[in-house]
Amino acid sequence: MKFLKLAVVRTVAMLLALVVTQLSYAGPMGFKDSTMAMGDFSANWQEAWVNYAITPRDAFGAGGLYMRSDDQRLTRSLAEVTYTRLAKRWNGEHSQANIWLLAGAGAVKGNDFTDTRFMLAPGISADFETTRVYVSATARLYRAPGINHDFASARAGFSFYETDYDEVQPWLIVEARRMNNLSDQTEITPMLRLIHKRYFVELGVNNSNQTRFNFMYIF
Amino acid sequence: MTITFQNFTAALIVAASSTAFASSARAATAIKANVNGMVCAFCAQGIEKRLLKLSGTKEVFVDLKKRVVAVEAKDGETLDIKLVTAEIVDAGYDVTKIELVPQTVADIRLETKAKK
Repeated sequence: MKFLKLAVVRTVAMLLALVVTQLSYAGPMGFKDSTMAMGDFSANWQEAWVNYAITPRDAFGAGGLYMRSDDQRLTRSLAEVTYTRLAKRWNGEHSQANIWLLAGAGAVKGNDFTDTRFMLAPGISADFETTRVYVSATARLYRAPGINHDFASARAGFSFYETDYDEVQPWLIVEARRMNNLSDQTEITPMLRLIHKRYFVELGVNNSNQTRFNFMYIF
Repeated sequence: MTITFQNFTAALIVAASSTAFASSARAATAIKANVNGMVCAFCAQGIEKRLLKLSGTKEVFVDLKKRVVAVEAKDGETLDIKLVTAEIVDAGYDVTKIELVPQTVADIRLETKAKK
């Protein structure tokens, strides 16, 4: 009974943490019938995926993720299929806010075990943006037998100036993120973001002096 | 009153010109929409892409600051307001106002930029 109560409390706490802390990218899927490619590359985190939006709110895709611990001893490689759902969107006169649900399932390998394990990676993300301000938060669970690499990140930033539709818009974005059982520190990365019609790129250096490069592209 | 061949020809030219002008004026219509949620070009380019895919589309204009989307039909073609609305909604945005206006997309572009 005591164990059950503890499990319930932990589950509720986890869900609350997801709702409160998770906010993410500019949007993890494109418009209906579009294909979006995304990459996030740094020394300890290398991720790439592609998805296709079958409706304005649903996208299916596939991707790969390589994770490494700060001390470089542990590594993980995940190949997953993904489902992204736009749960809610608020379109304001000069703003937009979204809540996204993410689901991933795939095979994970590590350098500290020999078998391949089945990993589930559900997540939630929320963002709010105007033409000048951006905030987001994301949380994802990365769970497999004997593995817990739950992830959380938060982002905030501003654009230097407004631009026309056909111009490149520069932003300063700062991201803080953590991954359970791989890193003991919160990674802080200030990044220069450039947005144009079809692409979105970010370049920064984190608080461990590691370079980071992100991109999104819509086909 | 004698109608000379030259006068008759001139009258025909004037009549033809008037007809062409009227036809041109009729063709110079665009669908202009006010759209909520367009906050960045990366997000909003879905609107342009979807509207350009419509077979009757000649030109599309998007203005983020003024929240304006304008689409002009090819000569001799017409665009359906309901269809344009559906394409913008499928791109993820809300249409707050949409109307046919007696302007070309080039006119709307100039007018919108002049207001800035």
